[in-house]
Amino acid sequence: PVTPTLISVLFPAMAGSSKTPLYEASTQFKNWRYSSQNLAKVRSTLNAAAVAVIRNTFEADEPGSSSAVSFLTPDEELLLVRLYVSKIPQLCGFFRFPEEVEATAVSYLKRFYLKNTVMDWHPKNVMLTALFLATKTTNNPISLEAYTNNIPKTSPSDVLDLEFLVAQSLGFEFAVWHSHRALWGIWLDLQTVPNVPPERAASQSEVYDAALRHVRASRLSDAELIFTPSQIALASLSIASPALAAEWAETKLTPDSTNMTMLQGTLASIRVLIEAASQPVDVEAVRGVDLRLKLCKNPEKVVGSKAYLAKKAEEDRKAEEKRKRKGDAEKALADGDPFGDELAGRLVDYEDDDDDD
Amino acid sequence: MANRMNWLQGKTVRKNTPAGSHSRSSSTPQVQSTSSTIFGGGVKDPSGRITEYSSDDDQCPVCKSDKYLEKKLRLLVSSCYHKMCESCIDRLFTLGPAPCPICNKVLRKLAFTPQTFEDLGVEKEIAIRRRIAKEFNKRLEDFSNLREFNDYLEDVEDITFNLINDVDPAGTEARIAAYREANAALTLLNSQRDEAYILSLRQAEEQERKEKEARAEELRREEEEDRLERESGRREIIEKLERADGSNAAKVIQQTKRKQAEREASRKGVVPGKGAQALLRARMAAAAATAAMKDTPHIPFQDDYYAYDDMFVLQPVYVDPSSEAVRKDREGIMRAGGYQVEEAWERAVRSAVASLDLWPIDSSSDGLQTSNIDQGGDVIMSAA
Repeated sequence: PVTPTLISVLFPAMAGSSKTPLYEASTQFKNWRYSSQNLAKVRSTLNAAAVAVIRNTFEADEPGSSSAVSFLTPDEELLLVRLYVSKIPQLCGFFRFPEEVEATAVSYLKRFYLKNTVMDWHPKNVMLTALFLATKTTNNPISLEAYTNNIPKTSPSDVLDLEFLVAQSLGFEFAVWHSHRALWGIWLDLQTVPNVPPERAASQSEVYDAALRHVRASRLSDAELIFTPSQIALASLSIASPALAAEWAETKLTPDSTNMTMLQGTLASIRVLIEAASQPVDVEAVRGVDLRLKLCKNPEKVVGSKAYLAKKAEEDRKAEEKRKRKGDAEKALADGDPFGDELAGRLVDYEDDDDDD
Repeated sequence: MANRMNWLQGKTVRKNTPAGSHSRSSSTPQVQSTSSTIFGGGVKDPSGRITEYSSDDDQCPVCKSDKYLEKKLRLLVSSCYHKMCESCIDRLFTLGPAPCPICNKVLRKLAFTPQTFEDLGVEKEIAIRRRIAKEFNKRLEDFSNLREFNDYLEDVEDITFNLINDVDPAGTEARIAAYREANAALTLLNSQRDEAYILSLRQAEEQERKEKEARAEELRREEEEDRLERESGRREIIEKLERADGSNAAKVIQQTKRKQAEREASRKGVVPGKGAQALLRARMAAAAATAAMKDTPHIPFQDDYYAYDDMFVLQPVYVDPSSEAVRKDREGIMRAGGYQVEEAWERAVRSAVASLDLWPIDSSSDGLQTSNIDQGGDVIMSAA
């Protein structure tokens, strides 16, 4: 079913118009939009597949060892990711990065763990890499030295090694639409509401700040993977000041239409998510998860372990084979006849006297 | 041997230095001649742009002297196309005709000319062609059809080739003589016509030059007249002022100025008529040219995005504490090139209304797979 858009409601004549709404042309809409059930399903399937693979690796190493290992559940993975997502604003505050960098890095981290599992890649370095990548893609770059020198116990290779992996997991889709910008837009547009006293914007700045806090809280949840940034922003404003939010919404959608009711329903769901995300993280639980992670990590990714070395040896062998094949091809070329010996024999007949010159 | 002794005894007279002598082509580098006979300034070029050929490693094939032994060595060319230095020519031919030391053809002193081209073959060919062109000067109009003209041309070329390459010289000369007798009248007519044409060209050139001079003269005269007018006008004013009493001073000046302007206008009215016509013609021509070239219609670029423009109206100014500093920054230290806060506002408001009505995917109903992840957790890539 085609979701009815505003344009098809307000201008039925244009309902069949071929113009794509700008947001729906973005990769965020096309590839990173889920329903909450889908999200759960994705995470569980990812987790199951990862557990199977790691179990095999354990078995290959040492048959029978895998039964002793207790792997992480999807919820525990989510918990760990959420902890590291909450560390990003702290880092950004330290580096004085703009809000856009923070929001982008959070998005990157969340999306990364929709394609990869915590047991393969520990969130600590992925978070640093995602932040570094975000500074670059939002045009607020910082040199790698300046970055790693200011983060204790981090070397440049920690960040660089994962950079391509992160970019690949994102599908190289780096542009993200954020809700804090939408919130700013709502706040500006509130000044155009008819019969608005002009000093309201100046006097009610605490409302704006509160709403911004809620937007930041929403980043810790899955809201951006389910809802659009404008909806999240409106929901945040509705927590801070329901009256203002309603006033603005009424100028955009007709008050008693189905659209309005649907919007209210959506806003309610977002509010629930934001409330949940505003609860502080249970540090003890996370610590427990981290400990178990040490045991169930994928041995292939642990530098120095048997599986890691085996994997590396395998890769080296493959590379060597490829090089040999290439070398053979080059040798054949150098020997003169790349097509093999079948065409050996002169291609130019020097004895031919038929030419006039 | 006696000749040689004459030479050794210095009977040959050194010519004047280049400063004293003047040749026909004064713009060419002065040729230093050692002979008593003036062999002409150089080549057959009236415009004087082509200089005589000479090289640093010239060597006379007869006496083997070169530029080192004799600085002013100048090699001249005989009618049998052999080179010789002037002293050898003097030595051999002053007492009358003598055989050429190289080919034994009997030559006179006059038969020697200065060299124009590095390649003597070219010299020979040019001389022969010049001669043939004088004798054979028929044109396409003199023939009944193109085929005959081409045959004639081929014959002429054949003769020329024979002469150049010394193929059957006697027979070729006979052919030339036969042609000359047969076509004397026509040849004469044609040559007269050519001469008349050259003359008319020269006359036209003269005419143009005269006209240009006349126009320049005219212009100068006009300027002179203008100047005189202005002078006299000024003097008039001064005199009138002297004579008149103080109260009418302004009126006097006005009157004289008006009279002057009238006189100028009446004079100028005659001449610019011609100039104005020319200008008008030029302008009409330009207009015609542009009318002939049609302007291609402008097709504006259209993209197919609905940008939510109907959902908001951007105000020229907002109360916005976050952009306060940037807007108040006079020197523009904080702004990147081209930054306009209105664009930031527009982007914000646009994202505030973007897809406000895009409801989340509802996958609680089974069967309807509206997300892009299928059962196995793989991304659905195709639209099918």
